[in-house]
Amino acid sequence: MVRYLARRIFYLILTLFIVTTVTFFLMKIMPGTPLTNEAKLSPSERNIVLQQYGLNKPVWQQYISYIVNAVHGNFGTSFQFSDQPVSYLISSRIGPSLLLGLQAIILGVFGGIVFGSIGAIKKGTWVDTTTTIISILGISIPSFVLSILLQYFVALKWGMLPIAGWSGFAYTILPTLALAALPFAESARFVRTEMVDVLSDDYIELARAKGLSKFGIIYHHALRNSLIPLVTIVGPLAVNIMTGSLVVENIFAIPGIGEQFVNSIVTNDYPTIMGLTILYCFMLCVVLLITDIVYGLIDPRIRITGKKG
Amino acid sequence: MKLKSVVKLGAVGAASAILLAACGNNSGKESTSKLVNWQQSANLTTLDASKATDNTAFGTLNNSNEGLLMSGENNTVKPGVAESYNVSKDGKTYTFNLRHSKWSNGKPVTAKDFVYGWQRTVNPKTASQYSYLFDHVQNATEIGKNKAPLSSLGVKADGDYKLVVNLTKPQTYFKYLVAMAPFYPQNESIVNKYGSSYGTNSNNMIYNGPFKVTGWTGTNDSWKLVKNNDYWNAKNIKFDGVKFNVQKDPNTALNQYQTGSLDVDTLSGKQQVNEFKNSKELNSQKAATTFFIEMNEKSNPAFKNTNIRRAISMAIDRNQLTQDVLGDGSTPAVGYVAPGMSKRNGKDFTEAAGTKTGVSYNLAEAKKLWAKGLKETGKKSLNVSLLSDDTAAGKSTTEFLQTALQKLPNLKVTSQNIPFKSRLSRSQNGQFDMVITAWGADFPDPISFLSLFTSGGSYNNGDWSNKEYDALVNNAENADANNASKRWDDLVNAEKILMSDQGIIPIYHQVVPRVIKPRVHGIQFFPTGSPYNLRDITLSNK
Repeated sequence: MVRYLARRIFYLILTLFIVTTVTFFLMKIMPGTPLTNEAKLSPSERNIVLQQYGLNKPVWQQYISYIVNAVHGNFGTSFQFSDQPVSYLISSRIGPSLLLGLQAIILGVFGGIVFGSIGAIKKGTWVDTTTTIISILGISIPSFVLSILLQYFVALKWGMLPIAGWSGFAYTILPTLALAALPFAESARFVRTEMVDVLSDDYIELARAKGLSKFGIIYHHALRNSLIPLVTIVGPLAVNIMTGSLVVENIFAIPGIGEQFVNSIVTNDYPTIMGLTILYCFMLCVVLLITDIVYGLIDPRIRITGKKG
Repeated sequence: MKLKSVVKLGAVGAASAILLAACGNNSGKESTSKLVNWQQSANLTTLDASKATDNTAFGTLNNSNEGLLMSGENNTVKPGVAESYNVSKDGKTYTFNLRHSKWSNGKPVTAKDFVYGWQRTVNPKTASQYSYLFDHVQNATEIGKNKAPLSSLGVKADGDYKLVVNLTKPQTYFKYLVAMAPFYPQNESIVNKYGSSYGTNSNNMIYNGPFKVTGWTGTNDSWKLVKNNDYWNAKNIKFDGVKFNVQKDPNTALNQYQTGSLDVDTLSGKQQVNEFKNSKELNSQKAATTFFIEMNEKSNPAFKNTNIRRAISMAIDRNQLTQDVLGDGSTPAVGYVAPGMSKRNGKDFTEAAGTKTGVSYNLAEAKKLWAKGLKETGKKSLNVSLLSDDTAAGKSTTEFLQTALQKLPNLKVTSQNIPFKSRLSRSQNGQFDMVITAWGADFPDPISFLSLFTSGGSYNNGDWSNKEYDALVNNAENADANNASKRWDDLVNAEKILMSDQGIIPIYHQVVPRVIKPRVHGIQFFPTGSPYNLRDITLSNK
């Protein structure tokens, strides 16, 4: 297990390095400069400013100094937010994104498991059809449509919750619902398909023959074995949702990181693009590692050993 | 770990997440009676007057700080920190007499603070993107290129309350510049105290204006302007302050405006503006920004032909574009220089220069000119590409123009909408046939527009060139710089030449449509420089 972890961590660092390098050079290909007032600056004025930021040095020099700084934990200062260290920009804005993502993934996945299980148990009945339709809707309705609908009806028409903003739990409900739709639908679909298979297995018959209660069979035998494919998708999905959604954050005016990432690309804010790319990549690698370990917990047959790695 | 414990863990996680969120803060329902809630569509990115570049920053800075003078209505300036000023006969020396006023930390605002602030903005180490506004101040350009010491900048303190500025040549519009953020005073000890974190949050800053900024962490989405009791005119501030909220989604913002949680909201697009068409709450402001087409005479030599350029301009029905297509209140172009920005003897610049030739619509005439132009250039047909931003307005404008221009026989127009930064870089590198560009004036003087299109100028991407035009603009900046009426005539004539020769094709002037709740009175908006003045706001019970 220790050897396995060491190897995975080595791969993690290698992945981070490759992603950083590729992103850095891709970013430099983008036309334009990070200057906000670029349109009003003549070429000579622009050069004076770029010189101060070290942006007129050869790209390889910029790359080396970026890597050296990044290894020392210095991710530079943002160009959009003048003089603001990227680490501060990210740490101060990722909280709301993480919180919403966490709430959405918990709500979505647990809701999806319950929903999917009900569909599988009642296979072929109207209940199954209804749950399937709802999960297909959950996948196919884009989050911005759902956000706008939720905002319009729940907040504006019925006045039950705040329209947008960020000052307390009530403000998180609608964006959480909007974000939860996808993990909910995905997990409901996976759990249903898998459980339909599992329920027809011999050992379920055996459990029934032994006289276990229906709930006992579903909970102890069927559900556990249906969760493996779900674990595979929940990890990356969670990272995706927790790193913030441009659309949902904009519509509900959430002070999160999703919008900043998209904006940093459009404005050529190199340090912010790099910082966020590295963070996302790191989160994804860690989640994949955790996923692999969780497999073993759920299904002892795929438990990790030092030998097999 | 058994599944049971996984479930338990999840439940605990969910519960704690909910608790954490609930702990956040409970100030959602604060009293807003004497606070004006104002929508911003972009984050505040800095409070450092030397580094500010966008309207959000300028709007906050102009009301939390004050320069020597400040913008007044109808493009005038009013006394700010300077009670009075006088200009030498040759127009090159400005002497400002400062009032006794204070910073928000109680320390006096002195002439030294101005000298320091200006030197800091011009210092290339600061990398200010607005240091070019100082180009008439002695040695500013040399300092920017590291060719002269900072102390040689043409601004000196004569005692604590007199500031003397030396310019390299007369600049009648200098009075507008000193009202802008890059010319604000800055306190050296405060800048040194906070170092690189100066102006990166509302605490690392002092203010000499009517309001202090509070609650800005440097990256968050809302901040306040609260009354500054140390301001010299604090007794005339009649309300508590303004709370700015970043709402990037225009529909969300409008929903919030309609339920009363916002008092001031900028509208976006035709539909939103139509909703308020007959409402007294609609408040549309001219922005001194003109959208125009540049034609690249290098990549497409046919554009060297005046008849071709004029034919294209005459084929554009600007009324239809602004009313039916854009519909956000933007007005058809009446020339290149935006209207409502500059007046002399009661006459707007656009009226004085208005020959209408460069902006009128006449398809029949356009076709005649087009045929003539094609004959002169020896071409049978013309294929051109039209480049623009990928914004909603950019896309609908290119769609409209594509249809309109193809009414000229044998003209084929392909269009391309790309992100702003890419569009800009292609404009600057001359990689276009026709490009839709916008220019907004920095200060209310026609030179802010007209200086762009002199031969070889760094913004003259289409390479249009006219010697007479060059001479007129040069006279306005040099020989006639100190003679107001001659200078005015120079600029009027330059605009006339640019239009009759159709060096560029103006399309429309931008208008910013806003809605303001009836309880809020006295906001002053400006087309250039500082976007608004909040000093005179009063609130009624309505």
